[in-house]
Amino acid sequence: MSAMLLNKEKWPEFVGKLTGKKIWAPQGEGQEMRFAPLDEGDAPALEYGNTRVPPKQALFPQTETLFRFQLGREDVEVPELEEEVVLLGVRPCDARSMAIVDNLFSWEEDDPYYFKRRELVTLVGLACSEPGLNCFCTSVGGGPASTEGLDLLMTDLGEHYLLEAVTEKGENLLKEAGDLLEEADDDKVKEKEQLIEESKGAIKRSLDTEGIPEGLPGLWEDPLWQRVSASCLGCGTCTYLCPTCHCFDIQDEVEGFAARSCRMWDSCMFGEYTLHTSGHNPRPTRRERTRNRINHKYSYFVDKFDVIACVGCGRCVNLCPVNIDIVEILKQVKEAL
Amino acid sequence: MKTNENPYIPYYATVEDTWFETGGERAIKTFKVVFDDEEVRKNWSHSPGQCAMIGVLGVGESMISISCSPTEGEFLRFSVMKMGKVTQALHQLEAGDKMTVRGPYGNSFPLDEWEGKHILTIGGGIGQAPMRPVVEYVKANYEKYGGLTMIYGARTSGDLCFKNEFEEMTRDDDLSCHLTIDIEEEQWDHNVGFVPQVLLDVNPSPENTIAVTCGPPIMIRFVLENLKKLGFEDDQIYTTLENRMKCGIGKCGRCNAGNMYVCKDGPVFNYATLKEIPEAFA
Amino acid sequence: MDLDKLRETAAEVVARDDVKYLIGWKKGSYGFRVAPAFVEDAESAAELIFSPLCTANLATYLTLVEQLPLPRGQEPDDRKVALMVKGCDSRAVAQLLVEKGIHRDKVVILGIPCPGMVDPALLAEKYSETEDPADINWSDDGFVIVRDGEETAVPREELLAEKCRLCRYPNPVVSDIMLGEPVEAWEPEEDEGVAEVENKDVDGRWAYWQDQFADCIRCYSCRNVCPMCYCQDCILDRLNPNWVYRSVNFSENTAFNIARAFHLAGRCIECGECERVCPANIPLGKLNRKLAREVRDKYGFEPGLDPEAEPFQASYKPDDPEDFIL
Repeated sequence: MSAMLLNKEKWPEFVGKLTGKKIWAPQGEGQEMRFAPLDEGDAPALEYGNTRVPPKQALFPQTETLFRFQLGREDVEVPELEEEVVLLGVRPCDARSMAIVDNLFSWEEDDPYYFKRRELVTLVGLACSEPGLNCFCTSVGGGPASTEGLDLLMTDLGEHYLLEAVTEKGENLLKEAGDLLEEADDDKVKEKEQLIEESKGAIKRSLDTEGIPEGLPGLWEDPLWQRVSASCLGCGTCTYLCPTCHCFDIQDEVEGFAARSCRMWDSCMFGEYTLHTSGHNPRPTRRERTRNRINHKYSYFVDKFDVIACVGCGRCVNLCPVNIDIVEILKQVKEAL
Repeated sequence: MKTNENPYIPYYATVEDTWFETGGERAIKTFKVVFDDEEVRKNWSHSPGQCAMIGVLGVGESMISISCSPTEGEFLRFSVMKMGKVTQALHQLEAGDKMTVRGPYGNSFPLDEWEGKHILTIGGGIGQAPMRPVVEYVKANYEKYGGLTMIYGARTSGDLCFKNEFEEMTRDDDLSCHLTIDIEEEQWDHNVGFVPQVLLDVNPSPENTIAVTCGPPIMIRFVLENLKKLGFEDDQIYTTLENRMKCGIGKCGRCNAGNMYVCKDGPVFNYATLKEIPEAFA
Repeated sequence: MDLDKLRETAAEVVARDDVKYLIGWKKGSYGFRVAPAFVEDAESAAELIFSPLCTANLATYLTLVEQLPLPRGQEPDDRKVALMVKGCDSRAVAQLLVEKGIHRDKVVILGIPCPGMVDPALLAEKYSETEDPADINWSDDGFVIVRDGEETAVPREELLAEKCRLCRYPNPVVSDIMLGEPVEAWEPEEDEGVAEVENKDVDGRWAYWQDQFADCIRCYSCRNVCPMCYCQDCILDRLNPNWVYRSVNFSENTAFNIARAFHLAGRCIECGECERVCPANIPLGKLNRKLAREVRDKYGFEPGLDPEAEPFQASYKPDDPEDFIL
């Protein structure tokens, strides 16, 4: 389907057409923005940079019940996932993170919870016209209008949104919107391209990843790891707020006789993450944990799935309480190679 | 519970028999379990070296080596050391009780590739658990292999697992079975000394031989050293790794040693591969 | 602040044989950011700074340090750690000494009188962040933002961090070396944040915290940054028994936040780090200051002022009122 135009005046109507689906959109103010279910009848304002908490929660909730059971009884109940969700205004980096994480959750065996949600979720992206301070998506294979992982891409052209379907799901959304849309002429498409070029130019941070995936493991004992991790507090901010971080813990939780097995986000920056019951820890200090975090994203994941597990959203840089800056770390890696 | 598409849902298995291998605070208890569901029982297949997630609902799960060979029958055996929350709960189980089982997980020892070769197993303590199925498998298919040498040790005779089985094996003329304990004890008529030293004493020929070793990290380190002294090449040596695990299917992230996930790429590793992974012996 | 003097002194300290390294502040990787600096030699002491952006309380690193297992026969590096402290930071050190969390002869304390820090979030909101190096200095009556070669004067009230508006101890309470002259303590403001919550009725307070705790993502940055949270075996990490489940929901989040607040009562030195680092913007300062105030009002105890004091919860006085027992 060709590119379509939506007059912004018709935006609430467009959102209203998404009946029967739960809409998640950026909500809150300023730095507290996060994706959350939208109240019925609301149309989200999409003038925002990016949410603090990435929308990965829609596919990989921080806490997911795997199954419920009663203590002492044998039958288990798996929660039914059936609500269709539209994520409105997802930034291309975050959508791309989902395409990247798909690799892991489908590695040899599909993760049923993740892919059930993947099926139920439609991703409507919003191209970036004003990159954030620490954005570096163009250095890691993405871009302000990357469509990877998206079903539909919207670009803000002032009075209009330009809508481009990426998948069948996206095309269906456009069909549902019907006569709210008009076809975009070439000028509008060119206007978008121009805008995206400018946006790319406005990205200030960059890094050259060439040689890093192959070279990283060779720097195992390099003093740089001690240097870059010395100030690490060992909190989970960088990983919990990373759109591609996907590690989890599984624990049984019991209240009276009602119990459930659930999984929740875990972080490789926590010491307990790898702690053996014997007390032995293969990653005993933050040096090893930091080294693993960087290696996992920039080398191990590349080995397995041929793509860097970082989309350059800049969240870990923005939010690290002690200014541990992944771009700076990788620059040091590059120098040490 | 029926065979399930959902890899996170465990099967139920009933403990048919259970006994203590060793005593003390960190006792090792063996469970012989049988799946409750007929279909699961029939469809289940595992190979020596593989693991399973076993647990108690409401408490949690632990990744444990399957310590029996499929040649032994339609049951599973797990030898569990009492260490943390889950293993403590498992130790409470008696015959007739139920545990949950998911799996089998991980790769296995390439026993088909090893046909025609002499198999040498070198184990220490609970490390014998993943190798017991190798021993049993080779015994059951003895004509296909060039022989079996087993070296197994523990701190004291009370710390040896599967002792009765192995004592029997020492009397089998076909097999070369060497048991050892660290310190001299009365009534002990086998070797005394550390496993790596016994390995040198036994002096197995590296020719057409595969060495498999598993045990405490310090033992493995010296066993590897001594295997090299005996002339073994890296690719003739196999070992298994263990790490904390949660999912067993390569999703939860924590069990990696370098770029290898122990739950999928392991637990069995060839030493030639393993020595390239700096984190492997962390 | 005379930076040359600060760097010179730091260089002398790290050059000492009995000092392992010195922890101070340095310019961060971009814009206004400041990062902790671990200085091991006199040369790198040159990157140390002290500015209104040095909000981080570095005392947490005294107990946060993790050691790799030592090879057999190797002795641990038992030398002292040197630490730069502002007034509030020094209270953390004093309280750690009270609790015997650290040994006095294992630290060298470089005290810096503090004229007050800026709130980095307010700064970003009002003056936007920047990629290019930028700075803030103190002036006689406020701050001066230095950016793109231009200086902008900003009144003190506009950017002063909340913890500094409430501060009663801008000068270090414990130090081995003092850098600079003591500053004159200012009249602390009323704690409006705590008052705002106190003025609600019970339901209102509950609703307020319910709303706040619902946002918690349990990254534990508040605990990890806290100089007073240094238990080797934290109840939050315990699996057996599992006191607080890892599930992120109101019940468990509340259990976590309240447990932490209670464990800090009579120990929190009000450095505000928990609130600064919280990625969910939970006003943790209000919670901890409320408990600090209760302890102050009811028991007349203020933590982190006297390194020789008895710890509040571990001390007994014959004239303690006993009505709290029942």
